[in-house]
Amino acid sequence: MLKFLKQVTDYTKEAVQAARFIGQGLSVTFDHMQRRPITVQYPYEKLIPSERFRGRIHFEFDKCISCEVCVRVCPINLPVVDWEFNKETKKKKLNHYSIDFGVCIFCGNCVEYCPTNCLSMTEEYDLSTYDRHELNFDNVALGRLPYKVTEDPMVQPLRELAYLPKGVLDPHGLPPGSRRAGKLPEEILEEAEGNGAK
Amino acid sequence: MNLADGVQIVSFGVLALMMLGAALGVVLLENIVYSAFLLGGVFISIAGLYILLNAGFVAAAQVLIYVGAVNVLILFGIMLVNKRQNFVPLRNAWVGKTTTALVCLGLFALLGAMVLSTPWAISTAPVAGDTSTVVIGLHFFSDFLLPFELASVLLLMALIGAIVLARREFLPDALEREQTQQPVLTLPERPRELASATPSSPDRTLGTSSTKRNV
Amino acid sequence: MNSGIDLQGSFIQILVDLGLTAEVARVAWLPLPMLLVLVGATLGVLVTTWLERKISAAAQQRIGPEFAGPLGMLIPIADGLKLLVKEDIIPAKADSLLFTLGPAIVVIPVFLSFLIVPFGQNLLITDLGIGIFLWISLSSIAPIGLLMAGYASNNKYSLLGGLRAAAQSISYEIPLALSVVAIAMMSNSLSTIDIVQQQSGYGILGWNVWRQPIGFLIFWIAALAECERLPFDLPEAEEELVAGYQTEYAGIKFGLFYLGSYVNLVLSSLFVSVLYLGGWNFIIPIEVMADWIGVSETTPWLQVITGSLGIIMTLLKAYLLVFLAILLRWTLPRVRIDQLLDLGWKFLLPVSLVNLLLTAALKLTFPVAFGG
Repeated sequence: MLKFLKQVTDYTKEAVQAARFIGQGLSVTFDHMQRRPITVQYPYEKLIPSERFRGRIHFEFDKCISCEVCVRVCPINLPVVDWEFNKETKKKKLNHYSIDFGVCIFCGNCVEYCPTNCLSMTEEYDLSTYDRHELNFDNVALGRLPYKVTEDPMVQPLRELAYLPKGVLDPHGLPPGSRRAGKLPEEILEEAEGNGAK
Repeated sequence: MNLADGVQIVSFGVLALMMLGAALGVVLLENIVYSAFLLGGVFISIAGLYILLNAGFVAAAQVLIYVGAVNVLILFGIMLVNKRQNFVPLRNAWVGKTTTALVCLGLFALLGAMVLSTPWAISTAPVAGDTSTVVIGLHFFSDFLLPFELASVLLLMALIGAIVLARREFLPDALEREQTQQPVLTLPERPRELASATPSSPDRTLGTSSTKRNV
Repeated sequence: MNSGIDLQGSFIQILVDLGLTAEVARVAWLPLPMLLVLVGATLGVLVTTWLERKISAAAQQRIGPEFAGPLGMLIPIADGLKLLVKEDIIPAKADSLLFTLGPAIVVIPVFLSFLIVPFGQNLLITDLGIGIFLWISLSSIAPIGLLMAGYASNNKYSLLGGLRAAAQSISYEIPLALSVVAIAMMSNSLSTIDIVQQQSGYGILGWNVWRQPIGFLIFWIAALAECERLPFDLPEAEEELVAGYQTEYAGIKFGLFYLGSYVNLVLSSLFVSVLYLGGWNFIIPIEVMADWIGVSETTPWLQVITGSLGIIMTLLKAYLLVFLAILLRWTLPRVRIDQLLDLGWKFLLPVSLVNLLLTAALKLTFPVAFGG
């Protein structure tokens, strides 16, 4: 009999505990309702990509020496370099260059190893098309520069969390000159140089 | 004839037709699933007839018990055992069919005789209407006490039987060994202690499997 | 007892004065409340879907629909129109008759249950003697429609979803009915009007929640399970069953299922507010307030105010519960099927039986407080 009673009390305790936990969960959910939404209303508002953002690759046709280093360092040998040897000048002449961004993983190896710096990363990330073949950018498309988010008149630029002043969580309505938390890279560099001089 | 009477007669006709049609469908249709769904139609038509007889409570009970429970269980049974199987043609099938016909005819004759012999005088007692719930309750606990209690005992038996069937744990690998020493009138199952009273672990919350199962 | 406004009586009186017979006037009255409630229920669903989107968004720190109308209020209409004009596909191997009949059988009983939802003393379609019992019996028809839809789709997921839905609604109907029985025992009637009347008089203190706290919880849990709301939305658990019995449905037939589930949610919330939260009663009884400002209860303008306050209070309580249901949706994870059946049969059923027993004992001991 005692054993049975103990079972009953244990069961009741468990039920009460479960009910308490559900109540706690409800209060957490309820608490979230009064917080400000973190939504970035995408086509109208955009986050400013950080300095080292690895977006769509930019290519400068005239700088390229057709060395094919980009092809060799690419994990999947993606860039297509179409050149022919000009016998008169004894130089390679680049005809076409293309990268398929439907396949590219934006690792940045090509940019890293390009000897003439003709490849670089841009801030562009919204590469949506109706046909995946449209993502195969040729040298003309690769040579276009994207609109900067901060200069696009259609877009309200918003800072990312790490670029907000100390204690601020909402990027909306930030005063224009406000400074981000912590030191800027230049300042760190300056300080280091100052220390080295001493 | 005023409007209310007209509505009543028309709805009686519609309900009767619906019921007869659905009942014929239950018996005659090849597809067993259609039969089961039509059975629900029959029950609902009967509930409609009860409403016409001013017996709202009985109608609602009819819908709840027959449509909501019995018919759903039948459907459940059909859908869980949905094995497409061709019937093997039976020899001497006419014996079964003749017997069925005889039984049905006998039943029909009995009911017909009952219908003809009953004096269908309309009762002069006032219609119970909304108070019928109380009247039914009083009948249950006075002159219909014995059938009522018997029905509840029957239900209890079914309940206990279902629990016994559901709580047995089948061990496929140990089946052959145990079946030899199976006592009569028991089902093969894992041996378990009676009155298992293991204290449940504290981290277990509501709704996890019962303590008894993992003894 | 003050009976409040009698719209039916006044309407018939006006028509009779215009020269019609009383019978024709009654027939002319009949469709009006039905149409009103039908439109009201559909509007209620539109509001509920909008609330669902907005509250879900708030609980996840999003904004939710914003550009379709003010605060995105036209989103439900856009949804409904989209479902209406979408192609109505019946799969080639499906049983087209049952496939079409399924959603109708799910939706019709839910709308029929609005027959007995009271918004005021005389503000309901019919005051049936069997009242709340009608709702219980009508809600037991829905699983047949679900099984029909599941079977007719000729799809494993649909069949499993239909079976789960039927099992779930059968299991949770019993605790639901038992907690309603406890209420009926206290109010000595099944009629929704009588149940609310029995709670009125003491304002918020007289509501059934205080006398039936366990019953209230059981009823709410069981009602959520009946509506297939999270955490009990196993029949359409998308991770396991794609969408359960709705998998093969598109267009307006899917819309009917959608409509049915939301109407059911609103209906359950309305019934919780009628059974446990005093229905159309205000927090302080209207009669007491009328006494304070020294106005007779039978004053016409006060009656109009009482009537509108009744409707507002009923809807307010119901939508508070809808809000709670949405909040629960984002708080609790979905239960497993065995946990669901365990909870229904091993927890709610015994507890509701104990609750019934307790209510009976309390009714015998304190007949004053428990409606002896």
